[in-house]
Amino acid sequence: MTTPTAPGSLHLTQLTKRYGPVTAVDNVSLQIQRGEFLTLLGPSGSGKTTLLMMIAGFQEATSGDILLDGTSIGAMPAEKRGFGMVFQGYALFPHMTVRDNVGYALSVRHRSRAEIAARVDEMLDLVQLTTLGDRMPGQLSGGQQQRVALARALCFAPPVLLLDEPLGALDKKLRIEVQAQLKDIHRRVGTTFVYVTHDQEEALSMSDRIVIMRNGRIEQVGTPSDLYQNPRTEFAASFLGKSNFLRQGGAVYALRPEKIDLSPAGSGPARLRGQVRDMAYFGAVLKYQVTVPGGEAIEVDVDAWRGGDPLPPGTDVDLNWTDAAAVRLDG
Amino acid sequence: MTPARPRLNAGWLLVLPLLALVVALFLGPIVNILWLSVTDPEPGLGNYAALFTSDSLGKILWTTLRICVICTVISVILGYSIAYAMVHAAESDRKRMLSLLLVSFWISVLVRTFSWLMLLGRNGLVNNGLEAIGVISQPIAFMRNELGVLIGMVHYMVPYAVLPILASMQAMDGRVVSASRSLGATGAQTFWRVYLPLTRPGVVAAALLVFIINLGFYVVPAVLGGGKVLMVAEYISVQVLITLRWGTAAMLAALLLFGVLALLFLMSRFMKLSTVFGGART
Amino acid sequence: MHDKQFLRETLLEGAQAFQAGRMQRRTFLALCGMAGFASANVLAGRAEAAAGEIVMWNWGGQSEQCHTSAIGNAFTAETGMPLKFDTSGPLQGKIKEMVDSGNVTADVCDADLFDAVALGKTGHLEPIDYTVVDKTKTIDGYALEHGISIILYGYAFMYDTEAYPDGAPTSWADFFDTAKFPGTRSLYKWANGSLEAALMADGVAKDALYPIDMDRALAKIKAIKADTIYWGAGSEAQQMIVNGEVSMGMIWQNRGRSIEMETNGRYKMVMNQALAMPGAYIVPKGNPGGPAVMKFIATAQSVPAQLDLFACLGMTPTNPEAIAALAEADQPYSITSAANMPGIALNDPTWWGENTDMAVNAFLEAIS
Repeated sequence: MTTPTAPGSLHLTQLTKRYGPVTAVDNVSLQIQRGEFLTLLGPSGSGKTTLLMMIAGFQEATSGDILLDGTSIGAMPAEKRGFGMVFQGYALFPHMTVRDNVGYALSVRHRSRAEIAARVDEMLDLVQLTTLGDRMPGQLSGGQQQRVALARALCFAPPVLLLDEPLGALDKKLRIEVQAQLKDIHRRVGTTFVYVTHDQEEALSMSDRIVIMRNGRIEQVGTPSDLYQNPRTEFAASFLGKSNFLRQGGAVYALRPEKIDLSPAGSGPARLRGQVRDMAYFGAVLKYQVTVPGGEAIEVDVDAWRGGDPLPPGTDVDLNWTDAAAVRLDG
Repeated sequence: MTPARPRLNAGWLLVLPLLALVVALFLGPIVNILWLSVTDPEPGLGNYAALFTSDSLGKILWTTLRICVICTVISVILGYSIAYAMVHAAESDRKRMLSLLLVSFWISVLVRTFSWLMLLGRNGLVNNGLEAIGVISQPIAFMRNELGVLIGMVHYMVPYAVLPILASMQAMDGRVVSASRSLGATGAQTFWRVYLPLTRPGVVAAALLVFIINLGFYVVPAVLGGGKVLMVAEYISVQVLITLRWGTAAMLAALLLFGVLALLFLMSRFMKLSTVFGGART
Repeated sequence: MHDKQFLRETLLEGAQAFQAGRMQRRTFLALCGMAGFASANVLAGRAEAAAGEIVMWNWGGQSEQCHTSAIGNAFTAETGMPLKFDTSGPLQGKIKEMVDSGNVTADVCDADLFDAVALGKTGHLEPIDYTVVDKTKTIDGYALEHGISIILYGYAFMYDTEAYPDGAPTSWADFFDTAKFPGTRSLYKWANGSLEAALMADGVAKDALYPIDMDRALAKIKAIKADTIYWGAGSEAQQMIVNGEVSMGMIWQNRGRSIEMETNGRYKMVMNQALAMPGAYIVPKGNPGGPAVMKFIATAQSVPAQLDLFACLGMTPTNPEAIAALAEADQPYSITSAANMPGIALNDPTWWGENTDMAVNAFLEAIS
């Protein structure tokens, strides 16, 4: 590559969106790399969808700019940006067959029939729907519709694909299956994916990087493991995985339940002493609720295969962890 | 032992008298019309045969059909534009537009007809205004001709066209329009390939409604046509009230009835009528 | 449709028998059930048309008030029977429907004399009782078996004096001459009067109009079709003239009189060659008020009633005594006044009574 910036990179600079007195997106700056799978993660009302709609061009930013490969596209209408988009609920064209849906982007670009047919075949193959091309969207299952939406959005080889909670309508089992397919497709097409979800597991399992959003602002950006291991705020620590919070001398530490070592009382030195209040068996892990002095409950996950016999409620226990396991949080 | 008979829901017995009354009051006059059309003035199909032998009947039917079709096309196009503007207007504006639209339902057709004469007549506001500023030297003949009939009928029918189209536009998932744009379609492409096809049930419903109401138009053509635009409804009325050719009138009424039924049947072959009339969409 | 009448009578008898205790309740209900909802109608109709009053079926507007003051008051004073109105307009089709349905609710119709011919022939009218009604108190030939002319109205034409400053039109020939008198005209849409005007314009003498030569009349009508618009109601005819839609328009002579007065002569009526139309009172077969209606018709023939109808509605009297009693200033607006009479054509109700359907349909075809 000789170009200074690779195609498909996005640069958001101080993007802000206000609706009257409400600030939906507040001064967001972000660099998205070419080919990256970036997830905007946050609860509803955090501004993630508004941010995606501004990238797509359906919402105009109140201030700030968006650069695609270094060129400003902030004032460009959605149809000129050439980004693929998978909508919540898919928004398939109900009056067209699957093939016509998938080929739509090429057809409006006046490509030849042969070219469209070839490309549509390729895309249906990619999403494993080769036999369903002549069906109408209404005749497909939710998972199949989702894949048609994906094929439609990717058919014209956009540099960026925007996905707005694309798995929200699927049941949990199917969702996990489709997550894997989506990740696989991302790897094969190499397009930049910007993915919006409020589901932390989805974010963790698929993303190269995750942007945690809260109240219109970016809370923290990082790789899944970085965010998981080193959350900077209580919000980040609790929204992504589970965490215990320990307060010591004005500082707050986040401590993941699986990083705590639990043993029957008196077997050695202990950082904290407590009493088992409750225990739940999850197959791979045992989840303990331990009451410590001060009345707080601390959650401890123990690998079931090495934990020996479960300790019944009322057992006094010692809790230990390494210094690195407790992450000191900002503020 | 007697075999179990399917039991009639007792609730039906309660509504049965009313149901019978409605059916009787509805079917009675229709049967009467059909009966008259083959018995007056003498038994036989003479009234229907006149359709093929009488030039004047053919002319009246052709005039009616032509005006109804033109009026339907114009009304639906205008109605579509208005509904589109309403859907895309701010909530408060939309409510204002809707109430303006509904207000026009309350103005009697006679008042509207004479208002058009005041406005577009030979000595009306428009002609006098244009003459005063020197645009024209002779008044334009807007009224008392076929153009006048069309203006009056379209004005009356536009609200009827707007409502079903508006309903279908509001029922549409707006995200498909965004989807089309995101796929690179221009505004025109999105309209022709996505928006219009998806609002088609509303368009068809509006067209059917307007066309069928048009067939029965009487006052507007009678007054604004200056007597020269004779449509079938007025002709039927003349045959009933003045010339007492009730057989001819009944035959034409039956023809209209079956024409409309045939139209509905034809439509049903191309699309589900239930979608047109607001049933479930697929 | 006599079956309906039979049903009605059966039911009424049944009702009376039931009231008198001669018929079992169940039998009466079964009878009503067979008759269906007609029974409700019949009983309602019966209530509405209670004996002891006369219901006049006319055209609404001013006529309700005028008929009350001119005829109703005197009639009520004499007989004690009140006069009531149905103002929905007694078109032939409506009268026929009313009689056929067996539910007659009107006693006397303010109609045309040709209606008396058409509906009398088909048995929808009661004959006029000429022992009560006076044949001599109308114009010769206008006292027929099923109707008698009470007033005359007429078709004349009006023109805009500003449109023709260099010489006014004076005849139907002028009216049909678009070269000499350019401008739009209006004619009556239901053929009546328009056909006679066309024939007179074409040179037919006013007493040789009937039987009407349809081809000749329609050819004349079609010749000025491009310059003609057609009206179906008196108010419409008036509007066409006063709104300047036409420079010349056919008009009912009584309306023409009020237009001329209201516009201070801007629009002038031409009475030459006006067609006098006999407005007649006719009685639907089986009228609820019975023979008393003949007394009402006789009252309408009296001189005070005739003069009052003229003053109130502008309708020309038919009673020769009343014509003679008209004031000097009213003479020009009375079709049959000595001054007008030589130029007036008289309508032939018999021709129209027998040919209305053919004439109207042919006329409609010609103008549309």
